[in-house]
This record gives sequence, C-alpha cells and structure tokens, in this order.
Amino acid sequence: MKNITDSFLCLGSWPSAGSFVFNTDILATNPINLSVVLGLLVFFGKGVLRDLLDNRKQKIWRTIRNSEELQENAIEQLEKAQARLRKVETEADLFRVNGYSEIKREKLNLINSIYTTLEQLENYKNEAIDFEQQRVINQVRQRVLQQALQGALGTLNSCLNNELHLRTVSANIGMFGMMK
Amino acid sequence: MNVLLCSINTLKRLYDISAVEVGQHFYWQIGGFLVHAQVLITSWVVIAILLVSAILVIRNLQTIPTFGQNLFEYVLEFIRDVSKTQIGEEYGPWVPFIGTLFLFIFVSNWSGALLPWKIIQLPHGELAAPTNDINTTVALALLTSVAYFYAGLSKKGLAYFSKYIQPTPILLPINILEDFTKPLSLSFRLFGNILADELVVVVLVSLVPLVVPIPVMFLGLFTSGIQALIFATLAAAYIGESIEGHH
Repeated sequence: MKNITDSFLCLGSWPSAGSFVFNTDILATNPINLSVVLGLLVFFGKGVLRDLLDNRKQKIWRTIRNSEELQENAIEQLEKAQARLRKVETEADLFRVNGYSEIKREKLNLINSIYTTLEQLENYKNEAIDFEQQRVINQVRQRVLQQALQGALGTLNSCLNNELHLRTVSANIGMFGMMK
Repeated sequence: MNVLLCSINTLKRLYDISAVEVGQHFYWQIGGFLVHAQVLITSWVVIAILLVSAILVIRNLQTIPTFGQNLFEYVLEFIRDVSKTQIGEEYGPWVPFIGTLFLFIFVSNWSGALLPWKIIQLPHGELAAPTNDINTTVALALLTSVAYFYAGLSKKGLAYFSKYIQPTPILLPINILEDFTKPLSLSFRLFGNILADELVVVVLVSLVPLVVPIPVMFLGLFTSGIQALIFATLAAAYIGESIEGHH
C-alpha cells in the first residue's frame, strides 16, 4: 500500500542535488496552459500587430511617394526656371550688345557734331581776327597819314617863302602836267 | 500506528508536491561572491533573444520596411516617444538607455510568463524571469539613479545640487530622501509585481493545473508589459526632472 502511494506520489522526478535535469511532470511544468496562452496571444495579437504594421508601412510608403512627387515637381520647376533664366540671359546679352553699339554710334555722332561746331567757331574766330587786323591797320594808316600831313604842314609853314612856294607850285604843276 | 505513519508520510509527500517555495536560489561562486545563477542564465537567454532578433532584423534593411524591421522601428518610435514626452527636447542621448531598460524588462517579464522555464530543473531553486529577483531590479534602479545624477551634473555642473533647496531649504531632508526612495520604489515595484504574478500563477497551477490559471496568466502578461513601461517611463521622468531648468 505504502509503496503504491509512494510510486504514485513520486511520479515526477525530484532530483535532490547535482546537474540540470528535464522535469517531465506535465502538470508542474505547465506547458499546456503556456501553449494555450501563447496560442491565444498569437491568434489575437497577430491581427492587431499586422494592422498596426500595415498602417505604418502604408504611411511610410505614402510619405516616400509624396516626397518623390514633390521632388519631381521641384525638379520640373527647376528646369523651367533654368530655361527661363537662359532665355533671359540671351535677351540680356542681345540688349547689352545693342546698347553698346548704340552708345558707340551716339558717341561718334556727338564727336562729329562737336567737331563741326568747333570748326565753325574757328572760322568765326579767324574772320573776327582778320577784321580786327584790317581795322587796326586802317587806323594806324590814318594816324600815320595825319602825322605826315601835319609834319608836312608844319614844315611848309615854317620854311615856306615865296621863291620856294613858286618853285614847289611850278614843280607840282609840272608833275600834274606829266601825270596828265 | 502504521496507518497513522503512512498518512503522515502521504501528507508530507503531498506537501512536497504542492510546495511553493520563495527564496530558493541556485548559487554559483564567482570570485568572492555568491551569485544567483538562475537569474544569470535567464538574463543571458533574454539578452540572446534581444541580440539575435536585432541582428536578424538588421541584416537586410529596406527603405520600405518588411515585417521584422517594421516592428522594430515601431518599437523604437514608441521608445523615442516615451523618452521625448518624459525628458523633453534633449531626449536624444537618453533613448538608448531608456530603450535598453524597457526592452530588457519587457522581454524578461514576458519570458517569465511565456517560456516554459520549469522544464529545465535546477539542482536548487528554479528558472524564472530575471526581474523576479530583487538583485536584477535593484541593479536596474541603481543604474537609473546613476543616470539621472550624471544627466543633472553634466547639464548643470554643481548647480545641480541647488535643486535640493529648491522650493525652500526646509525641504532639504525630504529632497535628499527622495534620492533614496526613487531607486527603492522602482526596484520594489518591479520586483513585487513580477514575483506576485508568478507566485499567483504557480499557486493556481499547483491547485488547479489546467484552464483556471490562463486568465491569470493573461493578467500577468498585461501587468508585465505595464511594469516595463512604467519602469522606463519613470526612469525617463527622473532624468528629465534632473536636466530641466528651474523656473
């Protein structure tokens, strides 16, 4: 009787000391409950976890796609802007070249007109100088003539006597007669 | 007489079978220390689970994550969220610490609740979750203490200690006491919860081996997760408290 109960009660192995042993008592090690818990956990947890992770994945995917679209848009706009920049640059070059030539032409025109004006002024100046010279020469001539006449008159008044007077008159008459 | 002896013997055997023992440890002697070997073994298993899963996942990284990577990124985001809400803007350097605490405690607790540790029987004591042992939780709590002291000192220098007389100098003893109660409450909360969970499950299993413990085991799973979260959150909160500026 005692042996039977002993063997019944000692179903599991109960090592007293020593090394690691596998416990084969299925009730004490509790694998059934554990597997049930694990199974339920996997069964219910899987759906929730999958939803969660799918949502997250979708979000990441959407974000990446949005960013890619944005990047494409940005690149397109950049290209457009670059094209416009090139166009504007060529236009600006054209304007610049035109402007330069215009300026050069204007400059030449201005120089020419100024040159002609200058020449005219030079002419006027020369004419004025000539005129002045003529006038001065005339004045000088008149003065010299006047002085000569006065000198001659003085000389005549001082040293003129009858004989000389007669001689001179006759000489002049002879001279006029010859000129005639 | 013989019958009486037999019945006493039977009772003793029954008692042996249904005995639930606490405080039995399988000791190893390392240097001059006696260490609880069952805790070391289960910790190694937990560390191995974490490392192997991390290595398996990071072997093949994708821009659009596959299942494992997705899960791990989600966990990382969760940890960063917790750190950010508790620590504030400068949470970056503390994410690894908080994450390590959370993951280790979480996997430890769940391994205790899900893995059939008792299949392997030790010469003395039994395998269970590492957080089932007060030494593990005290070590984690002291690490937290060191971490928040380091955080405060490296942020503010010696001005950190002015927080002890912060509202009024009268509170100095209480503020000093807080530095001792923080690790104490952290460690005892975790230890007590996990130990209680496992004890309840073990007692129920020894009374009614099937079906009845299952709800309690689910409760244990829930509590274990919550405890890991609480530990990580509180550690982050302490760190955040010590690096926040005074007002």
